Amino acid sequence: MPLTLYVPAPTVLHRLHPVTKLGLLGAFVVAAFVVDRPLVLVPLGCAIAGLLALAHAGASVRRLRVMFVLVFVFTLVVWTWFFTGFFRPSYAGFLYGLSTAIRLDTFLAAGLLFLSITRVEEVAYALGRLGVPYAVGFTLTLAFRLVPAFFDAAANVVQAQRCRGLELASGNVVTRLRRYVPIIVPVLIGALRRADRMAMALELRGFNSGRPRTTYLRARAGRADAVAGALALMTMLAYLALWASGVGRLAGRP
Amino acid sequence: MSAPAVVLRRLACTYAGALRPAVRDVDWELPSGALAVVMGATGAGKSTLARCLTRIVPCFLPGEVTGDIDLLGVPVRDRAVGELAGTIGMVFQDFEAQLFSTDVTQEVVFGLEHTSVPAAEMPERIARALAAVGLTGFEGRDPTTLSGGEKQRLAIAGLLALRPPIMIFDEPTTDLDPAGRAEVLQVLARLRAEGLTLVVIEHDTATAAAADVVLFLREGKVVARDAPGRLLGDVDACLAAGVRPPDVTRLFAALGLPDPPLGIEAAADRLRSAGLVPRPPAFHPPVPRARASLLEVRGLCHRYPDGRDALLDVSLSIGEGEFVALIGRNGSGKTTLAKHLNGLLAPTAGSVRLRGREVAFLPLEQLAQRVGYVFQDPDHQLFAATVSEEVAFGPRNLGLPRAEVDERVAEALAAVDLHERDADPFLLDKGARQRLAVASILALRPDVLVLDEPTTGLDHFEQQRMLELLTRLHAAGRTIVIVTHTPWVIAAHTRRVVLLAEGRLRYDGPLRPFFADEELLAAAAFRAPDVTRLGRALGCTPLTVEEFLAWISRRS
Repeated sequence: MPLTLYVPAPTVLHRLHPVTKLGLLGAFVVAAFVVDRPLVLVPLGCAIAGLLALAHAGASVRRLRVMFVLVFVFTLVVWTWFFTGFFRPSYAGFLYGLSTAIRLDTFLAAGLLFLSITRVEEVAYALGRLGVPYAVGFTLTLAFRLVPAFFDAAANVVQAQRCRGLELASGNVVTRLRRYVPIIVPVLIGALRRADRMAMALELRGFNSGRPRTTYLRARAGRADAVAGALALMTMLAYLALWASGVGRLAGRP
Repeated sequence: MSAPAVVLRRLACTYAGALRPAVRDVDWELPSGALAVVMGATGAGKSTLARCLTRIVPCFLPGEVTGDIDLLGVPVRDRAVGELAGTIGMVFQDFEAQLFSTDVTQEVVFGLEHTSVPAAEMPERIARALAAVGLTGFEGRDPTTLSGGEKQRLAIAGLLALRPPIMIFDEPTTDLDPAGRAEVLQVLARLRAEGLTLVVIEHDTATAAAADVVLFLREGKVVARDAPGRLLGDVDACLAAGVRPPDVTRLFAALGLPDPPLGIEAAADRLRSAGLVPRPPAFHPPVPRARASLLEVRGLCHRYPDGRDALLDVSLSIGEGEFVALIGRNGSGKTTLAKHLNGLLAPTAGSVRLRGREVAFLPLEQLAQRVGYVFQDPDHQLFAATVSEEVAFGPRNLGLPRAEVDERVAEALAAVDLHERDADPFLLDKGARQRLAVASILALRPDVLVLDEPTTGLDHFEQQRMLELLTRLHAAGRTIVIVTHTPWVIAAHTRRVVLLAEGRLRYDGPLRPFFADEELLAAAAFRAPDVTRLGRALGCTPLTVEEFLAWISRRS
């Protein structure tokens, strides 16, 4: 299963400059962070939901639907019961829980939107444009390749040891940890071997060739970027204003 | 006249910590545009030779390299691996480790960005590299969604974009199914036509037949270097180098005919003109029916969490004491089916019963003792410090008393012919690790043994050893199911073929009708063994060289 949430679709959002996409993500996160009145958060959430639809990211949302629901329900329940004291449900707690739940889901949705419209390589590129060293961006790209391979290998190892009668879910903590040795050793050794081969393959393709780097991705910012950037900035400023004026804040927050 | 592509003078390589050199006394000149195939047993120095050419030794793997290496007339001494990108490229067996991007185009771009190719030049280079490997139209695809053959071709494209005049392939098709293999071999032919110099390390003699020159390596030395017709036509030379001699060569040697040809048609003509046409018996003795049914698969369906159907309505019955080959293209569902046989996967619909009991409901320790499953890669299960500890792991999980565990360890190790009880499993060679993996399952004394590609990646000698082991186990009454892509393994050792295509059962029956059905073989991208194809050209369907010979002697 691919780890990336990228949706290959030719939408206007996908065509935005990587830095603009990063800016959108930043603006939404800041906006959702500074206010905590549910009523004020709802329009922001709706706007992001609309953008997700525009990005054809419905499948990704479905993939993460359990997470959205879990985060929401768990947050709401915990705050409602524990806001004013141990197991003491309160209306203030309910309100605060509702706001936190919407906010966390908004964060999640903003992140999902970003990953749906941005290739990992674009993230690396955007980070590079913002002055982050190349090695950081490249490591990020590589992680997206390696992590699914790592989990595939781990799943195989678990099955292979099950065939030899290894029962993982029994015994106390110490025996359970000991039972993981036959899983961890092959997975780690396999990962090291693969990393070694990958390093060779990288150099064979000119990594460390000693020549200066060039870049293929040369996104140019266009009118869509200007519009998207302006809208994002306005949203963020509006939410900052709501926060500063106190309208966006819940009364009675500890 | 241009300089030869590769010149090696007194090349020797000793890895750090090794007592003996991995490669020594290699003097070789390879003209530009030639195709060389390097063959030999595991440990003969084939990969080391390739690593010296690309400077992976000593840049990555510490070792001492002496002698001279010139590529295109330029000495490579003191160069780093990355500096040679664009001069020499190298493709590995493990295609997963050669892809680093989340998008096909980016994968090809990678090398260009790191070797100062101007952005304006990139689109054309990307297009040509993808066209050369037949992946035009795959731009923008996520490499994780590609098939094995496509992944390997993408890895090749990533190197081709740098336009290296020399390419090395280190067992590029070992991990691929027959269709993927054919795709990669096609790419090789195209690169050769474009004038690239190619060095290919291969176990398979079919690839070598098309080469300009074949090298046999043994214990680090080049023991033979000649045109493919000469080397592959010599049974003794092949066996001495640990190479499986082609069927036609073995057949001609047994018949006392000189100069065996490399092609099937040519061989058929020679036999015809020599009056040596096999006459099969009027009818073949029927394959003995299995005694009692052991595993019953009924209407088995399996759907992955992402909604894809891996198996659709598969029904079959495996009897006690059978030896079954489970085949099909990668992604056809054969591993998924195999994993249902011992409850690693549970059916979405239908059932798998072992002696009448639903496998999915059997407790794990009972299942482990009934159906043993040996994974393709032994490194997915080896973890212990010593060989005997490794084998003892299974019986201990069953909670057996110590004396019994010891007895089973001794029995299993004897069965697989492994005697270094205190050796570190990770220091054993691939063939021994594979046999150790089998031993660790045998110690559970299962009635059925399921093996996923037990001979893949092994050299001829190790393959023989593994197959002899399986034949012994089968003779002793074990039921054996192997998943494999290797035609001669099926023909010479199994009794029944189960072919899956796109999750459905396409064929289930004896070998001979299967290998005689061209349409079925083509659909499965499968090729009959050489001796069978030769027999087909002469109007019969022999499964082994021995059978072919027997049919010829029936005439006289």
